[in-house]
Amino acid sequence: MSGYPWLSITTFLPLAGAVLILAIGSERRARWIGLITTLTTLAVAAPLLWSFDKSSSALQFVESADWIPAWNLSYGMGVDGISLPFIVLAALLSVLCVGVSWTSIAERRREFYAALLVAETAMLGLFAATNLFVFFVFWELILIPLFLLIGIWGGPGRVYASIKFLMFSLAGSVLMLVGMIVLHNACGTLDFRALALVRDNLSPATQGWLFAAFLAAFAVKVPMFPLHTWLPDAHTEAPTAGSVILAGILLKMGAYGFLRVSLPVLPEGVRLFVTPMLAISAVAIVYGAYVTLMQTDIKRLIAYSSISHMGFVTLGIFTLEQNGVEGAILQMINHGIISAALFLCVGMIYERTHTREIADYGGVVKLAPAYSALLAFFCLAATGFPGLNSFVGEFLIVSAAFNTQVWLGTAAIWGVALGTTYMVWLYYRVVMGAPNPGLSGLELELGVREVATLAPLVLLALCLGLYPELLLSYLHAPVAELLAMVGTP
Amino acid sequence: MNGPTAADLTLLLPELILVGVALVLILAARRIREGSVASVGTVIAALAAAIAAWQALSWGTTTGFGGMLVLDGYSQFFKILIAATVVIAALLSAGRSDGKGVPRGEYHVLMLLAATGMMLMASTTDLIPLYLSLELMTICSYILVGIRVERPTSSEAAIKYFLLGSFASALLLFGISLTYGLTGTTAYAGIAAALAGPEPLSQPFLLVAIGLIAAGLAFKIAAVPFHAWAPDAYQGASAPVAGFLAAGSKAAGLAAVGRVFLVAFNTEANVVSTILVGLAALSLLVGSILALPQTNMKRLLAYSSIAHAGYALLGLVAGTPAGVSATMTYAFFYVFMTLGAFGVLVALGERGESLDGFEGLATQRPGAAALMMLFLLSLTGIPPTAGFAAKFIVISSAVQAGHIALAVLAVVCSVVTAFVYMRVVVFMYMRTTERPVPPRFPATISAALALAALVTLVGGIFPGAVALWAVAP
Repeated sequence: MSGYPWLSITTFLPLAGAVLILAIGSERRARWIGLITTLTTLAVAAPLLWSFDKSSSALQFVESADWIPAWNLSYGMGVDGISLPFIVLAALLSVLCVGVSWTSIAERRREFYAALLVAETAMLGLFAATNLFVFFVFWELILIPLFLLIGIWGGPGRVYASIKFLMFSLAGSVLMLVGMIVLHNACGTLDFRALALVRDNLSPATQGWLFAAFLAAFAVKVPMFPLHTWLPDAHTEAPTAGSVILAGILLKMGAYGFLRVSLPVLPEGVRLFVTPMLAISAVAIVYGAYVTLMQTDIKRLIAYSSISHMGFVTLGIFTLEQNGVEGAILQMINHGIISAALFLCVGMIYERTHTREIADYGGVVKLAPAYSALLAFFCLAATGFPGLNSFVGEFLIVSAAFNTQVWLGTAAIWGVALGTTYMVWLYYRVVMGAPNPGLSGLELELGVREVATLAPLVLLALCLGLYPELLLSYLHAPVAELLAMVGTP
Repeated sequence: MNGPTAADLTLLLPELILVGVALVLILAARRIREGSVASVGTVIAALAAAIAAWQALSWGTTTGFGGMLVLDGYSQFFKILIAATVVIAALLSAGRSDGKGVPRGEYHVLMLLAATGMMLMASTTDLIPLYLSLELMTICSYILVGIRVERPTSSEAAIKYFLLGSFASALLLFGISLTYGLTGTTAYAGIAAALAGPEPLSQPFLLVAIGLIAAGLAFKIAAVPFHAWAPDAYQGASAPVAGFLAAGSKAAGLAAVGRVFLVAFNTEANVVSTILVGLAALSLLVGSILALPQTNMKRLLAYSSIAHAGYALLGLVAGTPAGVSATMTYAFFYVFMTLGAFGVLVALGERGESLDGFEGLATQRPGAAALMMLFLLSLTGIPPTAGFAAKFIVISSAVQAGHIALAVLAVVCSVVTAFVYMRVVVFMYMRTTERPVPPRFPATISAALALAALVTLVGGIFPGAVALWAVAP
């Protein structure tokens, strides 16, 4: 396996596909090129899981090269057990995005699939990067395709939503740019591992400021309360594929940033900020859940639920315990699977009914039993139903939260209870009861292509729920090393 | 002093080529009916000048004309950059007739002479030739702005530009005379030696001299508060001229600022740095905020160029060779991305004048829209475009000099300008239009856009070559 730059190949394959789509210029072939490219990328990325040595916390499949020697910047790729699962998830979700857009995107297909593939390159590159500069390049690169995806193919409020998304993200990331430059000047390197070794060059006060600068970027992406207001608009207005990328991967970028930069490089900053971070996470869990309860638009409801769920992730990370951090990473993957699946489900039915209002639904089970069963599965998974994937992650996070502070655990449990309420209530209003007269005459049942799009996610949710060690085994070594780097708070 | 020797003339080879072709064009001007003939001549002259500038350095760093002109890596860098500006601007001028009555021959002659002035600004090491070359550039620019005589806006812009420009020139001249009075010389090296010497100089007069010189040069790069001419001049001028001024005038101005302050007023780094910090901060703030309400594309790009003057100055603030190199890199990439953006305006003709004209462009001319988006992303500073690399290195040098607050201001302003530029993208990609599809672009304009796009994209991914080439004087 080694010898070839597998990570670079994985990362830039989609970009090559995007160039091909634009070069060939055929609307008809665009989606086929999109499908073939994403499938090939997945086929290159997935085998990395098997040839990866899980017992080691070292970076694997490492590549490095000089990039801009004049400015002392280099190009570096490599993965550890934390980043590899995200690469595979991103590659998988990209395939599903093509699947769900197959018929729903009928206009300007070339640009759509090109944007989708550029976004895939950005996602893959971000998780494969071993230095902050490369990380930052991909971090910014993803904004443009998503801005276009939301703004061109989105719902009625798409332009407002896309600008809001872009402005929030940029406002956060420019502060990270300054933080990165300060780090570069002080440490002379931007390699994540090397930075952790020379972090003593930074005074505790500098570390605090840097933590705040990076926090601006990461908190917008997660999104953490109170910087979350772009999320409901962007997720709701985006086309289904855009929502899947946003919920599945983009939200994880912020949390991943904490794990990659803040924790190992800025431990003094972490010590300074750990209590506020835990408090904000708890607020996000409970506040997000209450706001979710109030929603009348299905997509908006799922979007708001992400705020609550991402609150669990940041809570887990900042408990700074092995269980909490492992649970947080597991939950990042879980949320990537479940929220992507829920957005896919909503998108599939929206394509038929053209309404997202919960009140316009009802009794779907009688019209589309298979769809209802799949939706039930993912709703249960989202609530943290035992045997499905979220259960384990939430359990780990809640137990670590109780270990840290009882009130944090209480808030988390409260959030779980509210989460069950809103998901079950959503399911009740959409699927149960008498069929809504407005739905009569519509063919709601899923086709083979759509079932095939959801099937991998069902499988993943079941496997990770029944045997979480499947993923956790990748996390043990790197998380232990990460926490050793942070030191005892 | 003896007369110029042959060695002195080789020093001037690029400028001599430009002037020579300009003279030929003047003689032939009456016979030139086709604009493209003059454009081809101008492009060839600029390419020859670039090659001459490239080759000349291999003969070693030399000074000539009694030490008034120098041939070094710094002047070579800017001469080639200015030659590239002329190439793109001439290509952009070829295909479109911007109204009747524009004398094609004279138009290109003025462009060549202005470029000669710009090149001399980069290579002079004495305040007197600096003033002369700056005036050569500026006077040609006034006429270029007003050359569309049938349009009242064009004449109005030229008059405004002329009045404010003469005022700035007077300030510069006054600063030069004060400097001469204090130090007894106008040569950069002599000034530096006098300032470093044991005899104390009158500090207040020195401050005034530095301030006046800075003001005169800040006018050329359109830094706030000496920016007021830019929006009117750009709007009144034809789009290729506006692009030529935005790119060339700024690059030449930065070249002069870099050399004057790094070499001549080397010892007064604190004063210089304070002035430059003020200019940079004001330019960033005013340029990006005033760009927000613009609906005329040339005015929008004018305010954007004001903000970019602020970014470019961030490198000089440090007062170190590395900082000057950062500003050079910035100027290099800025020239291509800004000429590219103006090039799309040129290509769209009347429609490119207003923001509304960009509505629905992505469905009508996907290639043009994609190029415009590339240039706008680069102006915003989004990787992997050249604008990001440029922004990274100037902010980096500001941070290195300890100006963290200025760096934060710069990035916050870049968010504001992002809104400005992305609004254009929204118009292009997210709106539809009833307007007729724009006609196919002439090959010359496509070539100019392709060159600008190539540098913007490749320079963004591999900025290392430019960074190595950009060596401070």
